Amino acid sequence: MTSALVPLLLALGDDELVLGHRHSEWTGWAPHIEEDVAFSSIAQDEIGHAAAYYALASKHLDRTPDEIAFGRSPGEYRNALVCERPNGDWAFTLARHWFYDHAEELRLGSLEGSSDPALAGLATKMRREERYHLLHADMWLKRLAHGPMEGRSKLVEALGNAYADALALFDDIEGEDQALKEGLMTTSSAELRARYQTSITEHLDSVGLSIDAAPHDAEFVASSSGDLIETGENGTSSSRPESSGGRDGVHTKDFDELWEVMTLRYREDPKATW
Amino acid sequence: MTYDEKLQAFNDHIAAGGKVEAEDWMPDDYRKGVLKFIEMHANSEIMGALPEREVLPSAPTLKRKMSLCAKIQDEVGHAQLLYRVAEDLGKPRDAMVSDLVNGRSKFHNVFHYPVRHWGDAALIGWLIDGAALVTQASLRDSSYAPYTRVLKRICAEEQLHLRHGEDITLELASGSEHQRWMFQDALDRWWLAIIHFFGPRSNPEKDLLLRWKVKTETNENLRQEFLDRYVPKILELGFTIPAPVPYLDEASGHWLINDEDIDWEPLEGIKRNDGPETARRLAQRKAMYDDHRWVRDAMTEPVGV
Amino acid sequence: MEVYEVFRRAGHKDPYEHCGAVTAPDPEMALMMAKECFLRRGEGEHLWVARRSDIHAFSGDPAIDIVADKSYRHPSGYRDVVAKRERAIARARELEAS
Repeated sequence: MTSALVPLLLALGDDELVLGHRHSEWTGWAPHIEEDVAFSSIAQDEIGHAAAYYALASKHLDRTPDEIAFGRSPGEYRNALVCERPNGDWAFTLARHWFYDHAEELRLGSLEGSSDPALAGLATKMRREERYHLLHADMWLKRLAHGPMEGRSKLVEALGNAYADALALFDDIEGEDQALKEGLMTTSSAELRARYQTSITEHLDSVGLSIDAAPHDAEFVASSSGDLIETGENGTSSSRPESSGGRDGVHTKDFDELWEVMTLRYREDPKATW
Repeated sequence: MTYDEKLQAFNDHIAAGGKVEAEDWMPDDYRKGVLKFIEMHANSEIMGALPEREVLPSAPTLKRKMSLCAKIQDEVGHAQLLYRVAEDLGKPRDAMVSDLVNGRSKFHNVFHYPVRHWGDAALIGWLIDGAALVTQASLRDSSYAPYTRVLKRICAEEQLHLRHGEDITLELASGSEHQRWMFQDALDRWWLAIIHFFGPRSNPEKDLLLRWKVKTETNENLRQEFLDRYVPKILELGFTIPAPVPYLDEASGHWLINDEDIDWEPLEGIKRNDGPETARRLAQRKAMYDDHRWVRDAMTEPVGV
Repeated sequence: MEVYEVFRRAGHKDPYEHCGAVTAPDPEMALMMAKECFLRRGEGEHLWVARRSDIHAFSGDPAIDIVADKSYRHPSGYRDVVAKRERAIARARELEAS
C-alpha cells in the first residue's frame, strides 16, 4: 500500500464527483433540449469516473466507494474549488466545462505513465472518453466566441470568473512530493499548471480571445476583432477562502450546501441498501 | 378530387388500417388533433423531468445518482424525439416550448404534483412510468406513422425505466421500516393521480382521435390493463393501496375500481394548469428558458470565423 | 459523377436504413439507379439518396469508450429482479408476521 496514492485518488475522484454533481443539476432544464441530453451524459461520465477512482481508493481504505463519496465530512473533500462553484448561468457552466476538461486532458496524459498500473490503466481509458468532452467544450467555445455579441460577452465574463479557480486545479496535492518520488505522478502540479496556461492561452487566442495571465485578477480582452471587453471586479475569485484552491479541504459556503444535499439521503441511514 | 372525396378517401384509408406520413394529405382536424396530442406528450416528457430532478441531487449511492440522471436524460430525449415529430406537422419547437412555459398548453396531470423523498423516485420510476408505458405501448399502432416510429424507441426506454423504478422499489421494500414507509408514503400521495392519469371514460362517438385511430384504446381499457398488471405486484410487497381501492372481481379475474369511487375533483384544477406545483415548475422552466435565449440565438447560424 | 448513399424503408413502422451506394451524375438518376439496385425485390416502399459529401461524421476513432459501469442503461443491468422481488416479498411477510 502506498500512502501517497490515496490522497491523490481522492483529489482526482472528488473533482469528478463534485463537478459531476454540478453538471447533473442541469439535467431536465438546460437551455436547449439536445444540450440537456449532452450535459447529462457528461455528468454521468464524471460521476462514473469518481466511482472508478473511489473503487481504487477503497482497496486501500476500509470503505466502500459509496462511503467515500457520501460518508465523509466536508473538510475531507479534496476537490478544487472550481468544481464546487454554483452553476450560475450556461456561460459559466460552459467556461468551467472548457477549463476543466482541458486540465483533465493534461492531468490524465501525465497519469498514463503512473507507476501504479491500475491508475495508469484507468487514466488511459478515461482519456479516451474525455475526448468527447473536449470536442463538446471546444465546439461551444468556438461557437460563442464567434457568435452573437450577447453570448460572446457572457462567455468572456464567465472565462474571467472561472480562470483563477481553474488554475488552482493544479495546486499541490497532499503528499505530492512522495507521489512524485514513487512515480505515482509523473509530472508535478506546478509543471502541469505551466503547460496548462500555455495551452489554454494558445487555444483562446485561436478563437480570438486573449488572456491576461495574472491569476487572481484575470482579465479577458477580445484580441483580433478589436473590441475590448473587460471583466468586472466581481468575479467568483473574490469569494475564495484565503490562499486556498480547495485541495487542502477548505471549501466555500456553496460547497457546504452542496454537501448537505448530496449526502442527505446517505446520512439518514448509512447502513441501508438503496 | 374535391375536398369531400379526399376526406372520404382518407377516412377509408384509416378505416382499413392505413398509416399517415407527414407529407401525406390529411384533413386539418386530423393534423391539429395529432399535433396537439403529440405536443402534449412532448410537454409531459420535458415537464416530467422536473419532479425527478428534485430528488436527483440527494440520490443515495453513486450508481443511483448516475442511473437516475440517465433516466431523466431519457425523458428529455423523448421530448426531443416528440417535438421533432410535432414540428413536421407545422409548429416550430420554439413556439411549443414558449406556449408551454407561458401556460398556454398542457402536460400530464402527474407532473403537477410535489415530490418529497426517495420514495417518490421509486414510485415515479415504477408506477408512473408503468402507467405511461401501458398508454404508449397502445399508441404504437397509431395511424400517424412518424409517431409510431419514435414510440418504438420510447417504449423500449420506458421499459428500462420501469426496471429501474422497480429495482429502487424492491430495495425500499426489502429495507428498514423507514425505507418501506418511504414507498408507502409516496403511494398514498400518488395513487389517485395515477388513476386520473388515464383520464375519464372515453366517448368513442365524440373522440375524433379514437375515430381516426390516432389513439387505439379507450381510457378505461388502459386503466384496467394497468390495474391488472400492477395491483397484485404492489400488494405482494405488503403495501396498502389507498382510495380508490381496487378489488378483485373473482368472476372476471380483473382488479376493478368502481367509477363512483374515483374523485375527479382534484383533476379540475390541473386541467386549468392550476395544480399544486404547476405554477412553480412552469415559472422555473420559464426563467431558465427566458434567461438563456442567448444560447439558442447562438445556435442559429454556422460558426463564423 | 458523385457517390450517393442509399437508404430504404420497408414500411411505415420502420426507420430508413442504409442499404448501399450508387455513383450518379445527379439525384434524379441516383434515385433511378437505387430503385433498380435496392428495391427490385420489393425490399422496401420508400427510398432516399443523399450525396456522400453532404454526410458528416466524427473524425478519427469514433468509438466512445465507456469507462464507468453504465449497466443501468441496459435491461441486463436489472437481471436480478426476480431474486430481489422474492427478498422483498419475504421481508413483507416477515413484517406481517411480527
